[in-house]
Amino acid sequence: MQFLRQAVRYEAGSGNRGEQTASKMVTYDEGGNASPSTGSGVISRVFSTRHKTIGLQYLWLSLASVLVGMALSTLLRVHTSWPDTAIPFLNGFESTPERYTAVRLLHGSLMVFFVLTAAPQLGFGNFLLPLQIGAGEMAFPTLNCLSLWLTVASLAGMTASFFQPLSRGIDLWLISAAIFSLGALFSALNFCVTIIALRTTGMTLPRMPVTVWAWFVNAILSMLIFSVLLAGCTAILSDRLLGSSFFSTAAFLAHEPQNLVRQGNLPLLWQRLFWYFAQAEVYVAMLPCFGIITHLVATFSRKPVWKERLVVLAICGLGVIGFCVWGYHMFATGMNPYAPLVFSVLASSLGIPATVLLASWLVTLWDARIRFNTSLLFAIGFISLFIAGGLSGIFLARHDLARAALSEDFVIGHFHLVMGVAATFAILAGLFFWFPKLFGCRMNETLGKTHFWLTFSGVYCIFMPMHWMGLLTQSSLLPGAQRTALASAGASVRTLVTVATIWTVGAQLLFVANFFSSLLRRKDVETDNPWGASTLEWSIASPAPPGNFGGQAPVVYRGAYELAGTLAEEFAPQHLAPELLVQKAQ
Amino acid sequence: MPSTTTTHEIELVIGKEGGGGGGQLPPVGGNGGGGEDGKKRPNRPISPGRYYTGIAIGIVSVLMFFMALASAFLVRKGGSDWVPVHIPGLLWGNTLILLASSGTLELARKRLTHSDVLGFKRFWLITTILGVAFLIGQVVAWRILVRQGIYLASNPASSFFYIFTGAHGLHLLGGVGALIYVAQRNYDKAKITRTVAAEVTSYYWHFMDALWLFLLALMYMGK
Repeated sequence: MQFLRQAVRYEAGSGNRGEQTASKMVTYDEGGNASPSTGSGVISRVFSTRHKTIGLQYLWLSLASVLVGMALSTLLRVHTSWPDTAIPFLNGFESTPERYTAVRLLHGSLMVFFVLTAAPQLGFGNFLLPLQIGAGEMAFPTLNCLSLWLTVASLAGMTASFFQPLSRGIDLWLISAAIFSLGALFSALNFCVTIIALRTTGMTLPRMPVTVWAWFVNAILSMLIFSVLLAGCTAILSDRLLGSSFFSTAAFLAHEPQNLVRQGNLPLLWQRLFWYFAQAEVYVAMLPCFGIITHLVATFSRKPVWKERLVVLAICGLGVIGFCVWGYHMFATGMNPYAPLVFSVLASSLGIPATVLLASWLVTLWDARIRFNTSLLFAIGFISLFIAGGLSGIFLARHDLARAALSEDFVIGHFHLVMGVAATFAILAGLFFWFPKLFGCRMNETLGKTHFWLTFSGVYCIFMPMHWMGLLTQSSLLPGAQRTALASAGASVRTLVTVATIWTVGAQLLFVANFFSSLLRRKDVETDNPWGASTLEWSIASPAPPGNFGGQAPVVYRGAYELAGTLAEEFAPQHLAPELLVQKAQ
Repeated sequence: MPSTTTTHEIELVIGKEGGGGGGQLPPVGGNGGGGEDGKKRPNRPISPGRYYTGIAIGIVSVLMFFMALASAFLVRKGGSDWVPVHIPGLLWGNTLILLASSGTLELARKRLTHSDVLGFKRFWLITTILGVAFLIGQVVAWRILVRQGIYLASNPASSFFYIFTGAHGLHLLGGVGALIYVAQRNYDKAKITRTVAAEVTSYYWHFMDALWLFLLALMYMGK
């Protein structure tokens, strides 16, 4: 086995670690797909078209965004609990409700676009997708580079919009969202084509790792919904800047039944276009996470994914249903009386694929000789948060119950658990798992585990009480005295949430310390495949050499999660020919 | 320099350059075929599959963009502030020009199948000129409307007229850029052949053609 790895490494042009670091000097053949930017200048590095560099750049972008986003959420909580406290960062701005909303918008934009959308799909996806399917590069490297820089421009725009006066800020935000959509569309195109056209010999669809499936379904979904967001942004920008009237007049609401429109002239058409995107965006954030978690659970359980095909179907199902449920965000704003029922049924049917995924993870973990390391801990944390957040989603999916649960706190608690924090856990799980492949060293396990437990306890203390507070504010049936008592209890719960937020955000310093100290110390991984994984990215050196497979793409002989037959609890590498596997077993 | 490892081990890694599409199963029970497939072939045109797939997916995405606007159009046109736009007659002429350009594009590609590069270039140039003529025609149509006092901001119907024609024109401008690029490109060192480049561009161009017919029908019948 070891000699095989060496053989592959030889092909990759990096026989030992010393030469990997000097890899700039080696001319790599990228299998006819070599990217044009092979120079060593700063510009060609920054504007690199190599998928691994771009993947890492997305991950750095996400890291910066998540740190700023968390700091903003702390400011918001502190302001909610202790409104009189002077906050240094915000002192320079006028203290208006709009400013508070602007902080929330910036927090949400950073987290949703540049962390949840960027990290699992664009970060890990760009780095690992070609490696996992045995390709030398993404299908369109230059387009990939363009996507990255559109994303960077969008980040700059959204951040700058915060510092602008309200009206101009919104314009800038919309322009940035349109730019992000363009970047996301180009990326999605690249992902789809890479998966369809660049798989190596033997990498048939059923043999693709679940991660690749998730990136694939997600890319198709992104392709469809970011076009709609782009169209929506184009129209609303035209309204705001050129004076057109796609959305702004109330006249078109005249034919809507008055009793269904709660108050005033709601821009329903904009809402529809926006939620068409935004509801599916939840799945865009979550789908790659499902892929990552499935992959990690199987790898660390030393067992094949339970009902792998069903899991792939479930991921496809989530993509399809997620695309269709946009309406259920609009129960409160009024729509055709039959529509809520349709959307309710659709939204509730999301439970079927979600249950399949959950069952697969749990059965795979069941009775397995699990390797409990930080990566798996975060994966199990994800499962826990997914269950907790998913259960509260049932309230929101039922149109008759949604009114009762539709308070700010409840909704915030729900989507942060199931989308925000769960996805972040998946990103962290993936980071701990692929860190050797990304950087050639492991992260510290003790620090990692401490970080996990502090974060895990922290997020439950933040978001679970929020559900309760949310239901409390909606309970109008209680007599006055009881409501007053509950309201005072609510105040202390609010404080608890704020303290827990500070605790959780503080715990992230451990992660930052672990991340950078691991990078600086660079303790080399003892083997190229420290987790005993079967997928192609582990068949080459760690960190992955510039030419990926050194100009000779591997051949795939089996699925991604097949055990090595006689060698129980060890995966058979996808690229190992059957007779070599037998040889290895002997 | 890579470390020295015995060469027979390298042969175990069967090579094939990316772009195969992964459809076929590997030969089981041997390291067969490794040697010849693994040879370096610099400047060899890579498998065209990625371009066909890319343009197909790109077309779906562009279609989705216009469908979102079209659905907004259908929702919006019931409103009381809707004042239908009288479509300038020039648009029908423009439509004919665009349809003709699709025809000349196909003629150009036909020349290419007969290895008549000069003929190809001639018809390709005609297509490009027709494309530019269509765009100029659209701008003239805008000027006609402006002279009638119908602006983007006049009412929802005019807003939709301008955004449909504008967005389509912008996409078609991209198509004209692609036509010029395909004509000018030196294919000696390219990873793509002229035939593939022409075919991929033709898909996009015909799609733009069909999309325009759809938008025109929508604006004409939906008023």
